[in-house]
Amino acid sequence: MTSTETSPPREDTRPEAARGGPSGPPRQRKYSASERKLRRTGWLMVTPSLLHIGLWTAIPVIATFALGFTDYNVFSPPRWIGLDNYVEIVQDPVFLKATWNTISYTFWTVPVSMMLAMIIAVALNQGLKLQKWYRTAFFLPQVTATVAIAMVWLWIFNPQQGLLNAFLAIFGIPGQAWLADPDWALWAVILVGAWQGIGIKMLIYIAALQNVDESLYEAASMDGASSVRKFFAITVPMLKPATFFVLVISVINAFQVFDQIYVLTDGGPANATTMMTYEVYRSAFQEFRMGMASAQSVVLFIFLLVITLGGRRATREDH
Amino acid sequence: MALTTPRTTQNPPLAAVVGKTPPRQHRPNARSRNKVILNVALALGSLTMVIPFIWMIFTSVESPAELAQFPPTFFPQEWHWSNYSEALDAAPFDVYFRNSFIIATGHTLITLVLGSMAGYSLARIRFRGREIVFISLVAMLMIPTYTKIVPQFLIVKFMPLFGGNDILGQGGTGWLNTWWALLIPGGLSATSIFLFRQFYLSLPKELEEAARLDGLSEFRIFAQIYTPLIKPAIATVGLLTFQESWNNFLWPLLVTTSDELRVIQVGLAVFQQLDNTSWHYLMAGTTLATVPMVLLFVFAQKYFIQGFTNAGIK
Repeated sequence: MTSTETSPPREDTRPEAARGGPSGPPRQRKYSASERKLRRTGWLMVTPSLLHIGLWTAIPVIATFALGFTDYNVFSPPRWIGLDNYVEIVQDPVFLKATWNTISYTFWTVPVSMMLAMIIAVALNQGLKLQKWYRTAFFLPQVTATVAIAMVWLWIFNPQQGLLNAFLAIFGIPGQAWLADPDWALWAVILVGAWQGIGIKMLIYIAALQNVDESLYEAASMDGASSVRKFFAITVPMLKPATFFVLVISVINAFQVFDQIYVLTDGGPANATTMMTYEVYRSAFQEFRMGMASAQSVVLFIFLLVITLGGRRATREDH
Repeated sequence: MALTTPRTTQNPPLAAVVGKTPPRQHRPNARSRNKVILNVALALGSLTMVIPFIWMIFTSVESPAELAQFPPTFFPQEWHWSNYSEALDAAPFDVYFRNSFIIATGHTLITLVLGSMAGYSLARIRFRGREIVFISLVAMLMIPTYTKIVPQFLIVKFMPLFGGNDILGQGGTGWLNTWWALLIPGGLSATSIFLFRQFYLSLPKELEEAARLDGLSEFRIFAQIYTPLIKPAIATVGLLTFQESWNNFLWPLLVTTSDELRVIQVGLAVFQQLDNTSWHYLMAGTTLATVPMVLLFVFAQKYFIQGFTNAGIK
């Protein structure tokens, strides 16, 4: 398979070498032979990866868009139904609920954890002796599996023996059946998402803070600016490019929330916590409606594309 | 998965990220007072991050009688380490653990070998079509998991000549419930190729020119000259791959149903669904699923931090 992949560049180099031949120095011909070999090696080294990405990413993406126009249950061949899936999606109250839940989950987890992450990053930039330990603690939820973390939170949210209700009882606050109550379940999921998401955002902010010019703070100090004033007048504006970057990747990640939903609520109660990803999963692997699942994932993809391009544009205007 | 800006080139060197910054000029009194406030706030924040993990471990050694107490106790009255061996009788967590380890190691090896070769080629060899290959790769970086998961599953299911399938992929189960499905599709990501390319790009050009003049083959230049120079990058990409693979849930959930091939994250979810009262066993299993990543992170922190800062991925 590699020989077929490498032959085009070998053929393609010939006219180029011939063109360069007469005008070039006498060594040109010999150089071209090794150049040709070099190009072949280049293709040889990249081909296995290209085949892998092609089969497991490029083809699936195209197939997703195509399958979105079909009715397909795996057992019988796909049937072309045009836009029917999309018409159904728009009218499906559960998918609309899932879309709304995904947006609220993102709307609450991302800004809250970004704000906390920025403050923590600034605090960790003050040269404290224990800062390495603090950073490890804040980053810990990021390296551990979301499923494992959700399992621990499932136990924390347990109405009878859970830690959260016991903690609230100390202050005389009545406990809740957090995950079983349609009014609370989404908030519980949001809490876990915000808690877990601080680490990565903090890390990017810490890296960005290294680029902030120290002399700005010195000048502000000489003008008698307070720490709070310096934070809002220097740190926040200087972190703006990092903030855009963090915002885009966080929104993209939040839109794809799945593992904690699976463990904590299974989308319930009464679809109170179902997400777009969860509906894709249900359509494909519980109802075996591969066409519908594909159409739903196309909708999710369009959301993410708009966010990414919007973020790009905002970042570019900023520079 | 989502990688929006190639940040590698803009980032400060790792030492700057990890290292301390000199304290700013303040009056001594105000400075020490501020430090106390900061320390208290950060310690409380850190505690909020760590307490769930501590409670996980505490729960895993509590007796069923203690678990049933109301209000719940935070510190275990007695440490029942035997819970761990009993948990293994309740569900084969050792098998799940082994499977996760094999898959994470496999993914890491495939990524390091294929990803570094592709990254080197894209960074240092001018071959025809390189730009197109690179641009397509960047486009693939943006593809979210859910936009490829359904066809990926179908490719696995209809893999020709496997699992009783004929040449057209009909009649059997293909790669479903096989090691192939667990090891191959997740073995390589566009992100790792992209990261490797960035690292190879940062090395000086003189080395390759000298080596090429000496008549070294391109593969030897790659393997013996350039790759040893990016050892930290190999550690970074390797650890990120291992971590992502160990923590992956959705894919192994979709392609396996048998206990022998179940990974630990899926094993936990299945155990919880079958038995939602044995919290001590569940937390013992969760501890097993968590501890390897925590240890890996604590001992290789700087590589993790470099990787996450560069890629901004989870």
